[in-house]
Amino acid sequence: MHESTLPARETPSLPPTPRHVFFSPSRIWAIATNTQLELYRLKVFYFLLIFALLIIGSSAFMIDFTFQEQFQLIKDVSLGAMSIFTWLLAVLATAMLLPKDIEDRTLYTILAKPVPRFEYLIGKLLGVLLMLLVSTLLMSVIFVIALYGREQMAIGDTMRAASAMMPGQLQSQLNDIKESTFTWSLIPGIILIYIKAALFASLTLFISTFASSWIFTIMVSVACYFIGHLQGVARDYWLGNGFGSPAASPLARIFLALVALIFPDLQLFNLVDDIVAGNSIKMELFAKTAALGGLYTCIYLLVAYFVFASKEL
Amino acid sequence: MTAISIKNLSKVFPIPFRRERITAVRHLSLDVEPGQVYGLLGPNGSGKSTTMKIVLGLVSPSAGQTEIFGRDSREVESREEVGFLPENPYFYKFLTGEETLHFYGKICGLKGAKLKERTSELLNLVGLEHARDRRLGGYSKGMLQRVGLAQALIQQPRLLVLDEPTAGVDPAGSREIRDLILDFKKRGITVLLCSHLLSQVQEICDRIGILHQGKLVREGRLDELISIESQTEIILENATPDVLAQVHALLSKSGARVISERKPQTTLENFFLEVTNPPKN
Repeated sequence: MHESTLPARETPSLPPTPRHVFFSPSRIWAIATNTQLELYRLKVFYFLLIFALLIIGSSAFMIDFTFQEQFQLIKDVSLGAMSIFTWLLAVLATAMLLPKDIEDRTLYTILAKPVPRFEYLIGKLLGVLLMLLVSTLLMSVIFVIALYGREQMAIGDTMRAASAMMPGQLQSQLNDIKESTFTWSLIPGIILIYIKAALFASLTLFISTFASSWIFTIMVSVACYFIGHLQGVARDYWLGNGFGSPAASPLARIFLALVALIFPDLQLFNLVDDIVAGNSIKMELFAKTAALGGLYTCIYLLVAYFVFASKEL
Repeated sequence: MTAISIKNLSKVFPIPFRRERITAVRHLSLDVEPGQVYGLLGPNGSGKSTTMKIVLGLVSPSAGQTEIFGRDSREVESREEVGFLPENPYFYKFLTGEETLHFYGKICGLKGAKLKERTSELLNLVGLEHARDRRLGGYSKGMLQRVGLAQALIQQPRLLVLDEPTAGVDPAGSREIRDLILDFKKRGITVLLCSHLLSQVQEICDRIGILHQGKLVREGRLDELISIESQTEIILENATPDVLAQVHALLSKSGARVISERKPQTTLENFFLEVTNPPKN
């Protein structure tokens, strides 16, 4: 079967040469690109077809709408779908990574090599983040193409009706169309959608370090999504900030503070709704929200490492 | 310097939500010398896998110490010198044989031409050159074990830890893996082997340790442990009935007792391989 092609060790009795480096970006990159490849070969991008169909399908409801309403609907549907799809993808893709490696014993073969556990976790998360980045970019491209297509149709219709217009009315209408379609202010909204998905990938990875099954991981992660979205409303109610609510007891205050510390307020990431509605958001607010997302992503990863480092495999 | 040094090792697993604890390994001490093939034997649940995992740093010991070539096995650096093949490994089914070795090579710090050369060498060594571009999802059990051996060898380790390397493999594949292990031994690679196939262990191991309920109940050189000191085996070829009669007469005069006399038999494995792979003329 085999020839003796394996070079014999020249000095098997000599002490090993120390080659190990404590932190190796190339090892992390190898794990990250392998994770990314795994997700691609699992055909995760099929969801893009659903995304594209959703946008095309939404056109069926636009017949009686004005151009502005049509653009608004495309933006609402596209960015809403993008937000849900990236979140779902982050949770589903991350939830199975660690349990699958343990079940198939692939994790043993990796950690039996000179790979520190924190590098393995960073590599896995980075792989998911890369896949999410590609997905977000592809969805953005589909979104921009849909918007551009609708814009061209609107311009064509306006040009055809130009003969019946007053002087200057044509230019004004064309300007209205262009201002209602793609604007650069949408970019921060898309970035925040990505950051929110990254945060959930990190949170899901953390849950999977102690969860007994990937179903449990997904359920807890989904629960965290709702807690994150509802905590703002709960806080307003219990702290007496809204609709005539009772003042909170000290115990409730401590509980709310703990929840607010563990889970980020996901309503903050809904800046994209304001952007779609045509409201401009301050750069400072965007930067703060992005930094908050980045911080929570790092915190969840750090906690995941502490749990994983002491895990008996 | 010993390849593996285990000193007074114990491992206790607490059972969640109960006060009970399971002791998997009790006060285990043993040394594996460089270049040896060491068989760690024992029934299911005897603590073999736990011991292996502790040696590999996958599980932390409750007490005691394990070292690989003088380095504490809890240190990541100690794994520079180790290759591991777990029992029934699946690896990443979406990767081809070549991609699998590239991946393991990269996490061991290999790259470029050196990685490609090493991958080709190992695929050739384990007889998977023809399947290098095929995804592991389409590999047979024996092929998976062989790619597993190749990944274990990727960084030229001085120690191989093999957990049931022939489990579920057909006799021909099993013999190929056995031959590979003997080849590693010739090259000075130390092998720690866990197996239930005792006939195979007997063929390839220099030394064995038998674990039972977490305790090392026997340990030593294999030939010393299984030889029967009071008996001698003589196998004769072309002995005529007259010669045999003379031998019997001589033995009866000396007072030695003939315990059994029979035609030597080939092994079932050899017979099976002869039938399924007849020599080509």
